[in-house]
Amino acid sequence: MTPRDRGDRTARNVAALAEGLSALGLTCAIEARGKLVLLMPDTATVAKLADEAVRRAALAMAKENGFTHAAIELPNDRRRVNPGADATLLRD
Amino acid sequence: MDITAGMAGEPASLDARRAALSAWLSARARVAIGFSGGVDSAYLAVEARRILGADGVLAIIGRSASYPAEQWAAARKVATDFDVPVLEIDTDELSDPSYAANPSDRCYFCKSELWSKLAPIARERGFTTLADGTNADDLTDYRPGARAAGEHRVASPLAELGFTKADIRLASRELGLPTWQQPSSPCLSSRIPYGTAVTRERLGQIERAEAELRSLGIAGDLRVRYHDDLARVELAPATLASWLSTERLMDIRNAVTRAGFERVAVDLRGFRSGSLNVLHGVTA
Repeated sequence: MTPRDRGDRTARNVAALAEGLSALGLTCAIEARGKLVLLMPDTATVAKLADEAVRRAALAMAKENGFTHAAIELPNDRRRVNPGADATLLRD
Repeated sequence: MDITAGMAGEPASLDARRAALSAWLSARARVAIGFSGGVDSAYLAVEARRILGADGVLAIIGRSASYPAEQWAAARKVATDFDVPVLEIDTDELSDPSYAANPSDRCYFCKSELWSKLAPIARERGFTTLADGTNADDLTDYRPGARAAGEHRVASPLAELGFTKADIRLASRELGLPTWQQPSSPCLSSRIPYGTAVTRERLGQIERAEAELRSLGIAGDLRVRYHDDLARVELAPATLASWLSTERLMDIRNAVTRAGFERVAVDLRGFRSGSLNVLHGVTA
């Protein structure tokens, strides 16, 4: 598999995951780092993820889309004012 | 903590194992123990002190950059509280390029450094038996450090006599050891993925981040996994939900960025042993 194929597949996985999470009512930007996927949720989504059943569903969806680990990240102030740092980020 | 979870030993069989350990120690008379202050080596050192007396045991701590200061303090406290003679030596596994390159058998190089320094010191002092705290559960796990222990003829009486981790926690509780409910505490290098170099700077960053998180009141299992600019924080699954609010996540983020990470993420599944192996597809 070429790097481009891998990139295409990752983009497809990220898009499918974003769609699945959205169907669960979870709104977040998503960034893939290999098998780790970072979710950057809004405030309401953070609260929803405190529920174990929701968290489990989100993790299952991440796994279905090829990720072994999912983690949530709150954007820090510096990155918020410098969005160019998020070149690989696919935002909803 | 539910110490009965996964418990293999019934009280009667634990008594039998403790009797066997007493016999094992008595047959050797003078035992030097590689002592980290973790659950297993603390139990072995205190039991040895109880059976053999102060002249019969020497607990040796190998201090290095990968050994957390918090654990060193806990080890010293156990030794003081239970009157276990202690010797501290400096070890420097980071100066070994084979270790610093962080291969999947990194622990072999660390333990080689530890035992090669510890063994002659122990023998000079008349301690002909070297022992470590390896337990029976460890035998089913991938532990390249065991090879180094074998090369230096280090005995593992707890494993040999069938003590599981749950047995050791129960026996430790009976002896009044504070470590009975202490989370497992592997070295700081275990937070860095295999193949990513282990450096003093990275170990320091991880240690500071974990200390900052502890200061927020995070208890139980906790790991800061190193992903270059990103720290991935694993919390004990039982406590995870209580940290999933924007305000508390910001506390976590601020604590970890103070330690020098640019980005901080909290793992949605929580702590799992060997998490980085899963992520990087490492199989033993």
